[in-house]
Amino acid sequence: MLRYQESNELHRDFHGSTNLAIHYLAENYGVEAAKGVLRKTGREVYKSIHDKLAAGDDSELVEHLSWFANREGARYRMEVAPGEVVFEMLECPAIHHMRRLGIAPDELTCLQTSEINAGMCEGTPWESSLEILGEGHCIQRFKKVRGQRSEKVKV
Amino acid sequence: MLPSDHFVRFYNEVFKFLDERGDLPNYYRAISRDQEAHCLNLFREKGLQGVYEYYQKIRLEENCDMDLRMLKNPDRLVLFMRKCPSLGKVVDNDAGPCPKYCLHCPGWTIPLYQKAGLADEYNLVALDDPRCVETIYAPGANRPSRVFMAPIDDEGNVVGPETRFPKLSM
Repeated sequence: MLRYQESNELHRDFHGSTNLAIHYLAENYGVEAAKGVLRKTGREVYKSIHDKLAAGDDSELVEHLSWFANREGARYRMEVAPGEVVFEMLECPAIHHMRRLGIAPDELTCLQTSEINAGMCEGTPWESSLEILGEGHCIQRFKKVRGQRSEKVKV
Repeated sequence: MLPSDHFVRFYNEVFKFLDERGDLPNYYRAISRDQEAHCLNLFREKGLQGVYEYYQKIRLEENCDMDLRMLKNPDRLVLFMRKCPSLGKVVDNDAGPCPKYCLHCPGWTIPLYQKAGLADEYNLVALDDPRCVETIYAPGANRPSRVFMAPIDDEGNVVGPETRFPKLSM
């Protein structure tokens, strides 16, 4: 069951606003600060997903990934196996909309994915990784590492 | 991808981080400059009608419970947010709200209105109340923009004394 499950209209321009916020943080406080705020978002806003992962339950993570990818009209593939979730974003709706707004994605854009995912996993037996294959195309992996907890980063 | 549905909860975390460093006013100005690409020509060319058109789109896309009324003598647009979806999400949030969350709205809109020759009297009502009332005046109204908090009734009319911000954070 999802903690947040919006089902009404979308304001896609918020993808541009997310990019602006990441840039503001990185340019004024450094990339590590931007990562810290995103990780905190992953850990605290998505506390429900985080806490379930800590208990070994990936069900809300899987539902979250599919619900919001479908809401945004993403093309994606997802494979779920015991202790592993692999989500391949084939065409990222955030980057697609940023292009519509005239915003070019850059090396900071995908921190929203890598760091929020990392925050969801922080202090749990799960680890996340992000492999960028091209513009708007990535593979997000969540893997349960028995007996090992991912590093907690303090903001 | 951070879902666009969840941007405001991330925004809220950005505000917490910047507020600890006393940097919210600079961030509001950065947002305002960025929003110029979306709004400034519309506001300059069409005045209050442009503001009305912009908020019609926002009302739909952001699922706002909001009234927009164009009034005469003096020419003004009254925007009564009955239930702000942005603050609503920030409150419905395991990370908890930034107490200054509402300040970002006047923080970025007023500089933009002023560049378009408009003036705004912005009643935030209370920082934990998902209602607010903006009265936006057409060019030539000769009114200074200001931000205050005052209790309102169900129609958005002020029904109690104003609390002014001693120093507006923008």
